[in-house]
Amino acid sequence: MMTSTAIRIAELVPAVPPVPVAEVVEATSHWWAGFILWFPLISLVLCGLCAAFRVRSKLPAWITIGSLACSFVLTILLGNAEDVPERILLFEWISMEWLGGSFVANFALYIDSLTILWMSFVTGLGTLIALYASEYMEPDVGKGYTRFFSGVSIFLFAMGCLVMGDNLLMLYLGWEGVGFASYWLIGYYYRRPEAVAAAKKAFIVNRIGDLGLALAVYLIWATFGTVQYNELMTIIQSGDFSEVYEGWSVKAIPYLLMLAAFGKSAQLPLYVWLPDAMEGPTPVSALIHAATMVTAGIYLIARMYPFFLLEPASLHLVAWVGGLTALLAATIGMAQYDIKRIFAYSTVSQLGFMFLGLGVLTTYGAAYHVFTHAFFKAVLFLTAGAVMHGFAGQLDLRKLSGLRRMKGWRIVAWTMFVGCICLAGFPFTSGYFSKDAILAEAFVTQGPGFQVLGWLAIFTAFLTAYYTFRVWCRVCAGPVHYEPGDELHDDDHHDDHHDDHHDDHHGEHGFHPHAPRFAINFVLVVISVGALLAAVPYFMPNEVEGIKGGWVADMVHGSSAASGIPGHPDHPGSLSDSAHGDGHAHHGTILGMDPHSAMYYISGVVGGVGLLLAFWLHLWRRQDADRLRSWLLSRAWIRWLPVAMENKWYVDEVYHALVRAPLWLLGHVFHAFDRYIVDGLLVDGTSRLPRLLGRWFQPLQNGLLQSYAVTMAGGAVLIVLMMVLMMQFFQGGAVQ
Amino acid sequence: MSWLLILLPLAGVVAVVLSPARMAKIVAMLTTLVVFGVSIAAAVGFDGWGKGTWGLTGSFDWLSRYGIEIQVGADSVSLVLVLLTTFLMPLAVLGSFTSVRERLREYYGWLLGLEAAMLGVFLAKDLVLFYVCFEFTLVPMFFIIAIYGGANRAKASVKFMIYTFTGSLITLAAFLWLAWSASQAADGAWTFSIAALTEHAVSGLDATQQGWLLLALLIGFGVKVPIFPVHTWLPLAHTEAPTAGSVILAGVLLKLGTYGLYRFMLPMCPEAVVTWAPLIAVLAIIGILYGALICWVQTDVKKLVAYSSVSHLGFCILGLFALNPMGLEGSILYMVNHGLSTGALFFLIGMMYERYHTRDMNAVGGLAGRMPIWACFMVFFVLASVGLPGLNGFVSEFLCLIAAFAAGDMGAYPGVLGPWYAAIAALGMIFAAMYLLIMVGRIVFGPEKLPPGTPDEELLPQDLSVREITVLVPLAVFCIVLGVQPWIVIDGTSAAVADTLAVYEPILGQAKSAVQGALVGGAP
Amino acid sequence: MMLQLASTFSQLSLSQYLVLSSLLFVIGLVGFLTRRNLIVMFLCTELMFQAAAIAFVAFGRYWFDFSGQVFVIFILTVAAAEAALALALVVLLYRRRSTLNADDWMELCE
Repeated sequence: MMTSTAIRIAELVPAVPPVPVAEVVEATSHWWAGFILWFPLISLVLCGLCAAFRVRSKLPAWITIGSLACSFVLTILLGNAEDVPERILLFEWISMEWLGGSFVANFALYIDSLTILWMSFVTGLGTLIALYASEYMEPDVGKGYTRFFSGVSIFLFAMGCLVMGDNLLMLYLGWEGVGFASYWLIGYYYRRPEAVAAAKKAFIVNRIGDLGLALAVYLIWATFGTVQYNELMTIIQSGDFSEVYEGWSVKAIPYLLMLAAFGKSAQLPLYVWLPDAMEGPTPVSALIHAATMVTAGIYLIARMYPFFLLEPASLHLVAWVGGLTALLAATIGMAQYDIKRIFAYSTVSQLGFMFLGLGVLTTYGAAYHVFTHAFFKAVLFLTAGAVMHGFAGQLDLRKLSGLRRMKGWRIVAWTMFVGCICLAGFPFTSGYFSKDAILAEAFVTQGPGFQVLGWLAIFTAFLTAYYTFRVWCRVCAGPVHYEPGDELHDDDHHDDHHDDHHDDHHGEHGFHPHAPRFAINFVLVVISVGALLAAVPYFMPNEVEGIKGGWVADMVHGSSAASGIPGHPDHPGSLSDSAHGDGHAHHGTILGMDPHSAMYYISGVVGGVGLLLAFWLHLWRRQDADRLRSWLLSRAWIRWLPVAMENKWYVDEVYHALVRAPLWLLGHVFHAFDRYIVDGLLVDGTSRLPRLLGRWFQPLQNGLLQSYAVTMAGGAVLIVLMMVLMMQFFQGGAVQ
Repeated sequence: MSWLLILLPLAGVVAVVLSPARMAKIVAMLTTLVVFGVSIAAAVGFDGWGKGTWGLTGSFDWLSRYGIEIQVGADSVSLVLVLLTTFLMPLAVLGSFTSVRERLREYYGWLLGLEAAMLGVFLAKDLVLFYVCFEFTLVPMFFIIAIYGGANRAKASVKFMIYTFTGSLITLAAFLWLAWSASQAADGAWTFSIAALTEHAVSGLDATQQGWLLLALLIGFGVKVPIFPVHTWLPLAHTEAPTAGSVILAGVLLKLGTYGLYRFMLPMCPEAVVTWAPLIAVLAIIGILYGALICWVQTDVKKLVAYSSVSHLGFCILGLFALNPMGLEGSILYMVNHGLSTGALFFLIGMMYERYHTRDMNAVGGLAGRMPIWACFMVFFVLASVGLPGLNGFVSEFLCLIAAFAAGDMGAYPGVLGPWYAAIAALGMIFAAMYLLIMVGRIVFGPEKLPPGTPDEELLPQDLSVREITVLVPLAVFCIVLGVQPWIVIDGTSAAVADTLAVYEPILGQAKSAVQGALVGGAP
Repeated sequence: MMLQLASTFSQLSLSQYLVLSSLLFVIGLVGFLTRRNLIVMFLCTELMFQAAAIAFVAFGRYWFDFSGQVFVIFILTVAAAEAALALALVVLLYRRRSTLNADDWMELCE
C-alpha cells in the first residue's frame, strides 16, 4: 500500500518548450492594473445603489459603459507597458502555511500577453455591447434595467478574474463567477419558465465542468504543491517533479481540465446548455454566449498547455472532440429556423474549430480564431437582436424577408452581411485566415486520424458557409415581407412601446417594426469594422519568428501557450514523432501541396460553393429549398436525417433518459428509503422496543389507586420474604 | 469573561420572566446584544489568536473531592464558535418579533437559556460542565419546538429529544469510563479536566480501548452532527421548529456535534481515528450524496434546506477526518459558514412562510416580482450555500475537499483518505447546484403563483420590512467578508489546529516517510 | 433504677408493643385496600404511619437509643404536613367531581 511507483517524467519534459515565467513584482509600477477588475465591481455597487434608490433612468447603463470603457483603456495601457509578464498582488485570499507544506492562492494578477489579448477583446466588446444594450434594454428602464447592467458588471469582473488571475483558484473564482453571471442574465426574463429552465440548465451543466476543474486543481496541488502559474511552469520545465498516485496524477490533469473547458465552451458532450441560453436578452447572447465567456475553455487549455504537452493523447482527444462538435453543431444549425439558435449552434461549431486548433498544436490559430470570432459572432448576434427588438421578438427566418430594402434597416442588413462573410470564411476576411490557420495545421500535425479530421473540418466549413448565408438570404435579401413575433416578454415592457403596439401587434397590418436608432447602429458598424480589420494582424509579420500572424502570434508566444506557434523554434510539430526538426519539411501534404497554401484554395472554393448553394436555395429559387425538404422527408431511407437534425439529434432527450431520469428516480428511492427504512424501520423500530416491553407491565397501570396499593404491598411483602430467606440462608451457611 | 458570557443570558432569562410580556422581546434583544458585545470584547482581548493557548479561563470548586471543578476558558477554535453563537442569537431574537405572538416571556426565556447552554458547551474546559450544558441545550429546544412549532411539532420535539439524548448517554458512559480509567491510572485521584483526560487517553489507552472510546463518542456526536444513518431526527425537527429555532438548530446546535468531534475524538483517540477515518469519511460521503438526492425530490422548501444540512455537514466531517491542517481549517470554517448561510436560508423561508403560510414549492412560486429584495437575498444565500467562489461557502468546501484529496498514503501529504473520497464527494457540488437552483427556480422565479387567501399583510409589508432586512444584512456581510478574507479565521486558529494535529504526526509520519522512501528509491 | 426499668420493660413488653404496631399496620393496610372513600383511605395511611411510629418508639426504648424517638418526631411532622396537603387535595378533587370514590379517578391508566 505504501509503495508508489515513482516515475520521473524527465523523458517527457523536452516536449515542453520554455515558457516565459512571470517574475514576482511587488512594488510594481502597474499597481493600477487591479482597477481593470475594480471598475466593473464599482459599477456593480453603483448599480446596486441605483436599484436601492429606484432610479428610473438610463443611469445604470452609463455607469456600466463608463466603467467598462475605463477597464478597456487600462487594459490597452497595460498591453503597451514594457515589462510583462509580471505578477501583481492585490490582497491575500487563501494562504496557509504549516510544517512541510503550504497552500497559497492570493488575489493576485498574472499579466502576460495571453492575458492582455483576452482582456482586450473582453473589455472592448464588453463596452460596446453595453452601449448597444443601453438602447436594446430601453423598454425595461426602471424595471429590470439595473438588474441587467449589474449582471453585465458581475460578468466583466468574473471574466477579469478568470483571465487575469495569478493562480488556478482565481481562475476557478472567475470560472464560477461567469457561470453565475450567465445564470443571472439568461434568467433575466424570470417570469418565463423557459428562461428559468435554461438558466438552471446552463449553471448545472457548467457545474459538471467545474467539477473537472476543481478536481484538476486538487490534483495539481497534490502533485506539485502549488497552484500558482509561475511556480507551476517553472516546475514543469525543470522536470523536477515526480508522479504521485502510482503514476497517473500528471496524466489525469489534462483530462480533468478538458472536462472543465468542454463545459464552459459548450463542446461535446456538454454543449447542450448553450443553445438554450439564447433565452437571455440578445446583448447577453452576444457578449457572454458568443464572444467572451465561451472562449474561457480555450483560454484554460492555452494557459495550461504545458500540462497537455506532457500527455500527448489528451491533445488528440481535444482535437477529435473539437472536430466532431464542429460537425455535429453545424448539421443541427443547418436545420433550425430560429436565427439566434442558428447562431448559437454556429458558436458551438466555431468553438469546436478552436479546440481542433488547440488539439493540432496551433494555439496561435486557436487564439486568433477566438479573436476574430469574438467580433464577427458579436456582430451576428447583435443584428439578430436588432431584428428581434424591431419585429416584436420575431426570430423565425421563414417569417422575415428583404430587410435590406426596408428603411432604417440597411445598416443591420449589411453589418449582418459582414458578419456572415467572416463566419463563412470568405476569402480575405478575418474568419478565412483564422480558420485556415487551424485547418492547415490539422494536415500538418501528425496524430491519430488527423487527416480525416482535417477533411471533416473542411466539410464543416462548407456547411458553415451554407447555413450562414441561409440566414442572410432569407432575412436580409429577397422580397420585403414580415410577420411580427408574439412579443416574448410583453409583460415586462409593453407600456413603453409605441402607442399602437399593444392594440394590434398580433395583426400584421397595423404593425410597424421600429428600426434601430443611433446606439445600436453605431455599435454594429464599429464591431463589423473591427471584424474586417481583425484580418490585418495576419498580414503583419511577428517580431520573433518573422512569420505571419503579427502581434496575435507575438502575444501567444509570450505566454505559456507558446509551444503551439508554427515556425516557433520550440514548436514540437508532432508529439508522437520527436524526430521532427526543421520547420515544415516533414509536414503532411494535401493534394501534393504545402497545406498552408493549399488551404487557401480549398477553403476559398468550399466557402464559395456553400455560399452559392445558400443563394440558390434561399434567395434565387426558394421553392427549391421547400421541394428538397419535402423530397427528403418523403424518402424513408433518408427521412431520419433531416428529422434528427431538426430535433438536435435528440441529445437532450438522451441526456434526460440516461442521466436526469435515473438520478431523479434514485432521489425518490432514497427519499422512500430514508422515510421507511432508516427512519421508519431502524429508528422508530428501535424506539418501539421499550414500548413493547412496557406492554407486558401495562395491566398494572389500570388507574385504580387501590390496585397500585396492592401491588406495592405485595412487592413489599416479597422483598421482606426474600430478605428473610436470604438472611437465613447466609446465616445458616456461616454457622455451618 | 467566560463566566459573564454564560451567566449574562441566564440573568436575561430572569429579566425576561419578570418583565411584562410586551417587553419580553426588547429585554431579550438587549440581553443578546450585550452578550454579543461582551463576546466581541472577549475576542478582542483574547491573546490566543494564532497561538494554541487558552484564555478567558476561570474555575470554581464544586465537588473537589471527586475532582469536579468547573473550569471555563476558550481557545481560538471555541472562541470562533462562541462568536458565531452570540452573533446569531440577536438575529434569531430579532427575526422572531412577528412570527411568535403568544407565550412571549416563555419563548424568549427559552431562547436565552439555550444561548447560555450553548456558550457553556463551547467554553467548558471540563467534562462535567461540557456534558451538562451539552444536554441542557435539548431542554429549551424541546420546548421551542413543542410549543411554537408547526403542525407535527409534538412528534418532532419528542423525536429530537429522545434521539439526541440517547446518543449522548452513550457518550456520557464513555466519558465516565474514561474518567474512571484515568483515576485508576492516577491512583484514585479523580479529574474531569478535558486536558488531563485527553492526555490520559492518548498515552494510557491502547488501540482497542481507543476504538471503543471512538465508537461511543461517534454515536453521541454523530447523532448531533448528524452523520448519515442517524440523521432522521433532523429534517423533522428543522421542518417543525419555528424560524428562530431552525436557525439556531442549524447554525449552532449541529456544530456542537462537529465541535465535539474536534475537541474530543481527534485529540483523544488518534490511533483509532487513523484506523476508522476512512469508514467515517465514507459515511460522510454517503450523507453528502444521499442528502443531496433527497433534497432534489422535496417539495417542502424547509425540509429541502434541512436535508441540505445533512449533505453540507458531510463536507465538514470529511475535512475533519482528512487529518491535515487544510482539512481542519476548512472544517472549522465550514461550521461558521454553514451557520451563516443555512441560518439565513431558514430566515428567508420563515419570512416567506409568514406571508404565504405555506412551504410547498407547488403552491407558491415566482415571488421575485412581488418581493424583489427578498428574492435578491434568497439568490445571494443560495449562491453562498452552493459554494460560489468569492462567498464564504466556497473557501471551506474547497479546503475540505482538497484536504481529503491530498490526504492519501500515495499522495503528497500523509493521511488516510485519498483522491477518490474527494472526487466522489465533489459530486455533491453538482447536486447542490441542482436542488438549490431548482428551489430558486420555483419559488423565486417563474410565473407568479400564490396560495389562496394570501399574502397576509396584516402585520407585514409585501416585501421585506426594515427589521427583516436588518436581520439579513449582517449575515450577508459576513458571507462576503469570510469569502474574500478567510484568513481571519484561518490565521486565528492555525496554531490550535496544529496542536491538535501534533499527536498525529508520529502515526501518519511513518506512512509518509515510507512513501517518500519509495519515491526516493524509485527515482533514477 | 432507669436501667432496671428498661430491662423489665424490654423483657415484659417489647413483643406486645410490636404486636400492637403490626395490628395497627394491618388494619390500616386492609382498610386502605378495601375502602373506596378517599378520606377513609387517607385515615388508614395515618394508621400505618402511627404503627411505624409505635415500632420506632418501642425499639428506641428497648435499645435505649433516642434515635427512635427522634424519628417519631420526624414522622409526626411529616404526617402533619402531609395531612394538610392531602386533605387539601381531597377537597380539590371533591370540588371537581363531587365524589370521594377513589375509583372515579383513573386518568393515569394506560
